[in-house]
Amino acid sequence: MSLNELSEKVDLTLANLSILKTGKAKAIRFSTLEAICKVLDCQPGDLLEYSKK
Amino acid sequence: MEISTKQVLKILYVLSWIIFIGVCIEAGGSIFSAFYTLVINPVNAATFWEGNDLSSLYKYDPGHFFAETLLISIAAVMKACIFYLIIKILHDKKLDMSQPFSREVRLFIIKVSCLAFGIGLFTGWGVKYTEWLVKQGVKMPDTHHLRLGGADVWLFMSITLFVIAQIFKRGIEIQTENELTV
Repeated sequence: MSLNELSEKVDLTLANLSILKTGKAKAIRFSTLEAICKVLDCQPGDLLEYSKK
Repeated sequence: MEISTKQVLKILYVLSWIIFIGVCIEAGGSIFSAFYTLVINPVNAATFWEGNDLSSLYKYDPGHFFAETLLISIAAVMKACIFYLIIKILHDKKLDMSQPFSREVRLFIIKVSCLAFGIGLFTGWGVKYTEWLVKQGVKMPDTHHLRLGGADVWLFMSITLFVIAQIFKRGIEIQTENELTV
């Protein structure tokens, strides 16, 4: 799925998707997480990962 | 009719220009008058800037006259600098009401705070110095007429602005966090 397609389905701007993709995001709304999980048919755990820096 | 923030800023911009011109004239007048008295014609001390009679001080000691006029001039120049900063920030349109917490605005507040502290310091010093001169028997005009009054107000303003600058620091962090919340 392309970023354009995802942004349309999740109702997020490309700029915000880019923030998410590059890891610059400071926080994510539950509504956004829910929308992404719904479109990609996955669990939040599949999207989030903890790593020690 | 509701007045928008843009209109208020426009009015403040015009007012700042008027005040800036006024304080520049005052600063320039004080400096020129002091220079003219010390270098060209000492008689001018009797009609120092805005009619303040400093002839008694000049007769007492030109060195003290220089110190007193220096304090007056420094305070006047600092006042002009404050209004220059206000005009600059309004002219550059750095005040974005949709995202009010910015680094530029915080820097502006810190600069104004420092200048206000400086004015408070120099005017306070000027008042004490004038009091000392009066005790020495020198006839001096009122400190209010010498534009040396209100040191405590300037210091209060400086501290208030410094606290606001600290609040802005946190505001910038929260705004950045909010912008990066998806």
